[in-house]
Amino acid sequence: MMKTFSIGGIHPCDSKISKDCRIEVLPVPSKVFISVAQHLGAPATPVVKVGDQVKVGQVIAEPAGFISAYVHSSVSGTVKSIGPRKDLAGNNMTHIEIDVEGDEWVEGADLTDTLVTAIPEDNKEILDRIKMCGVVGLGGATFPAHVKLCPPPGKKADCLILNGAECEPYLTSDYRIMLERSKEIVVGAAIMKQVLGGCPAVIGIEENKPEAIKAMTAAVSELQATAKGYDGISVMTLRKKYPQGGEKQLIDAVMGRQVKSMGLPIDVGAVVQNVATSLAVYEAVQKNIPLVTNVMTITGDCLPMEKQHNYKFRIGMPLSYIAEYAGGVPEEAVKIISGGPMMGKAIANLDATTVKGSSSLLYLTAEQTVRGVESACIRCGKCAEACPMGLEPFLLNKYARNNMMDELEENAVQDCIECGCCLYSCPANIPLLDIIRLAKGDVIRIIRGRGQK
Amino acid sequence: MTTTIIWTIAILTILGVVLAVVLYFVAEKFKVEEDPRIDEVEKVLPGANCGGCGQAGCRAFAQFCVESSPNLDKCFCPVGGNEGMQKVAAVLGVEVAAKEPQVAVVRCNGSCENRPRTNEYGGYQSCRVKAALYSGDTGCSFGCLGCGDCVAACQFGAISMDPATGLPVVDEEKCTACGACVKACPKNVIEIRNKGRRNMRVFVSCINKDKGAVARKACKAACIGCGKCAKACPFEAITVENNLAYIDFTKCKLCKKCVAECPTGAIHAVNFPVVKPKPEAAPAPKPAEAPVAETKPKEE
Amino acid sequence: MNKILVSPSPHLHTKTSTKSLMRDVVIALLPAVVVSVLFYGWSELLVLGVSVASCMLLEFLITKYMLKKPCTLGDWSAVVTGVLLALNLPATTPWWVVFIGAVVAVGVAKLTFGGLGQNVFNPAIAGRVFLLISFPTYMTDWTKPAGFISNAAVDAYTGATPLGLVGEGGVEAIKGLDYLDMLFWNIGGSAGELSAIALLLGFAYLLVRRVIRPYITLSIWGTVAVFSGIFWLINPEVYTDPAFNLLTGGLLLGSIFMATDYVTSPMSNMGGVIFGVGIGLLTMLIRYFGAYPEGVSFAILIMNSVVPLINKWCHAKKYGR
Repeated sequence: MMKTFSIGGIHPCDSKISKDCRIEVLPVPSKVFISVAQHLGAPATPVVKVGDQVKVGQVIAEPAGFISAYVHSSVSGTVKSIGPRKDLAGNNMTHIEIDVEGDEWVEGADLTDTLVTAIPEDNKEILDRIKMCGVVGLGGATFPAHVKLCPPPGKKADCLILNGAECEPYLTSDYRIMLERSKEIVVGAAIMKQVLGGCPAVIGIEENKPEAIKAMTAAVSELQATAKGYDGISVMTLRKKYPQGGEKQLIDAVMGRQVKSMGLPIDVGAVVQNVATSLAVYEAVQKNIPLVTNVMTITGDCLPMEKQHNYKFRIGMPLSYIAEYAGGVPEEAVKIISGGPMMGKAIANLDATTVKGSSSLLYLTAEQTVRGVESACIRCGKCAEACPMGLEPFLLNKYARNNMMDELEENAVQDCIECGCCLYSCPANIPLLDIIRLAKGDVIRIIRGRGQK
Repeated sequence: MTTTIIWTIAILTILGVVLAVVLYFVAEKFKVEEDPRIDEVEKVLPGANCGGCGQAGCRAFAQFCVESSPNLDKCFCPVGGNEGMQKVAAVLGVEVAAKEPQVAVVRCNGSCENRPRTNEYGGYQSCRVKAALYSGDTGCSFGCLGCGDCVAACQFGAISMDPATGLPVVDEEKCTACGACVKACPKNVIEIRNKGRRNMRVFVSCINKDKGAVARKACKAACIGCGKCAKACPFEAITVENNLAYIDFTKCKLCKKCVAECPTGAIHAVNFPVVKPKPEAAPAPKPAEAPVAETKPKEE
Repeated sequence: MNKILVSPSPHLHTKTSTKSLMRDVVIALLPAVVVSVLFYGWSELLVLGVSVASCMLLEFLITKYMLKKPCTLGDWSAVVTGVLLALNLPATTPWWVVFIGAVVAVGVAKLTFGGLGQNVFNPAIAGRVFLLISFPTYMTDWTKPAGFISNAAVDAYTGATPLGLVGEGGVEAIKGLDYLDMLFWNIGGSAGELSAIALLLGFAYLLVRRVIRPYITLSIWGTVAVFSGIFWLINPEVYTDPAFNLLTGGLLLGSIFMATDYVTSPMSNMGGVIFGVGIGLLTMLIRYFGAYPEGVSFAILIMNSVVPLINKWCHAKKYGR
């Protein structure tokens, strides 16, 4: 019996059209714009000036708080400007514009393909490298990785879970790196496992990716046979169900434990990292390469097979440049999404640039994505059936529309993970999540305000 | 037959008497002592429960008035206005100073014509939802989002959306300056300003803080922060900060010099009498939110 | 390319809509409709036609001219109500009685509460119960009109429903009734009660299409079986046995199609079980000890009124709590 999370969930068509497209490397454009807000938390503070010469991998912005991250230049060249530029939601954010000249890396970066399996012994040094290389969680939330890898005093990690579920339809970037960089991911897992005190590590992969399961299993056993420090790593096949890759759902599926409301995974002894983060950790620790590249999927039902791609991109590349390089935006596309179709963001401004967490350019047609006209709730309960947190969206919707904050809190609106299952499954097209998301923000603000008193 | 009727009447009567006695004692026991003036003050209040006074409702406001009496400076019911406050003061037997009447002003002129749409919004029609998602369906990330949260928030039916411009219009007659729309607007487009002498007002109808060129590209009627108005103002009522001009309504003397200076027509002067009949300007008989200034610089 | 569309996530949407769900219910009712038309012939067709047509017409007229709301005819809910109402009436019901039933169902029970999603009582049941109380003679006239096919078992018992027979003559009256016969074609009764197999076929379809969850239906069956089982074991001479109780009356029709109505049933699975147990108990209490031989409609109607309370107390299991 394959494991999965215990409450709710939906089964959208997985549409992994681009799963057989090998990762290609995108050529560097003549100019990049690197945002200082590529992670959860405070935007980084720029440390370069206009006119400075920078190399690939050089720090150009420093963390501005505990939860923040370093930002590095993804190209070599001259800093042209530092100022506001619109991000993909159209809001102004400080970007560092760099004119590209050549492709010269910082010293110490190991650009060879050789697999380094020997793990440094000093955990502090490892954490330092992860932090200095600006590694953030690449599963969507872009939470700084080093913060997650340092459990607060008194808490101990029982299990490191590597998230290879990639439960979002269409996305194939994690799948491709699991096939093409399997060993590196396992080394990354072993490093994080060591930092966390040698707890077991489980790589969770959904059943619809048998090749990835095979590749990862082979990589684990090969490394276990040839090198030290790889014991206790295993691959777990999970049943296909969205949102398997949600942190709380994955912990439930793999460990059978549930995180308390408003709690953190570490409270139940879990640390969850994406496979792409594991790869970034490998590059940072073993190769001294900062996080300036990632893999993204260019896909959509309206794209012909030859225009489907998995690209290794550098941060700061304009999305329009990538779309153009991949063969242009298809005629039928009405919506372009950065990220998966369930939780990704619709792009309002294609001139926005890639960030560390960019995972796709997904083209959706009007037929796929335009919402139907809202009609009356027929109380079918399909939203409650689908909610992986066991909430009752129909009720939250009603309370939220009437600003009933106490009732919202009682019914755990603050536990919503915004996975979109409710809105996906509503037959009456009620914008449940749109409304609940706002209410969740309001309630969390009230709870936090209460804590400060 | 008769016995049945008699019995019925008897039982019901006894039941009624017993319950009446019980109710009387319960009412006595659980009686809440309250200042009777609160009821009296509440009676003269409008009863809209809008919260415009800063209290939870009219009852709470009445209590607040009674508590803060005899000094009613902090109490003001925007709906009842000065007249209403005089009544409250009369009930409490105190004096209250008159306040300048105010009105809600929409500081955005990004009509469909001035501010072309760059994308289409397909989510729930709510400004708050839209603002939480992104900057909006135009190039301007500051202005009105046009989903009408202010219309829904207004208890007095004073705000309506103009389908031609996609912007809210305030009905000055109905507006009580309670500020519900100001709170509802996630972009802070609406401001409560003094109504002004004979309802005449001059204000900057833009809150775009982008640099001039960026703002101008997004919207033809944007304030570009050029500062010409501030230089022209003889009363130092205009400040320019973050590429945006602001007119302090307590200092403005309604000279309209700034209106003539503004290159984009972002400064609006409303309810001014039409001085001389201009050939092209359509005379507005009922002065609504008809911006006289806008007709001056003919935009292409 | 035109202007791009921007909206909050999720960007995909299920193909299931209110319309498709309601249409599935109609499809699930088709076997029962076909069987009833075959056995009751033209008169049943007339009842069906009048019922569906008047439900749809009333929905259209009332939403458009009285409520002045967007017309909800397109969501098929009026069709479902129409078919269910027809299946709840004897085939001999005169057309004007059917029409009055439709007025009560759609006009009173559904639209006065605000239309689909707001009604407290199941419209079809409300219509049926209104007619049962107002026109008892028409509603208990079980003379069998000429059908398109005939069956000896059906014809033999013309004149009363099995439950009616028990009510008048006790358990003796139904000795010799073949349950296998009842599984396929019941005897006398409302049009929809005719064939248990046809109704079960519809139940299977609804489950496969994930239109309904099985909790309510199964808990009704379970309660009826257990309750009547206990009484039957105590005294089989007075009380009817579980199989008889499951197969007769509107129990299957009610438990599969009417108790599971989204709007008037609890939202949570636990609530559904409580709701189902309540219906089962009330049905059996009315059957054994009440004045009416049949109690499913009343039981559902009574439990409908308790749904808000059940919803208040029964919530789904929340993650991490």
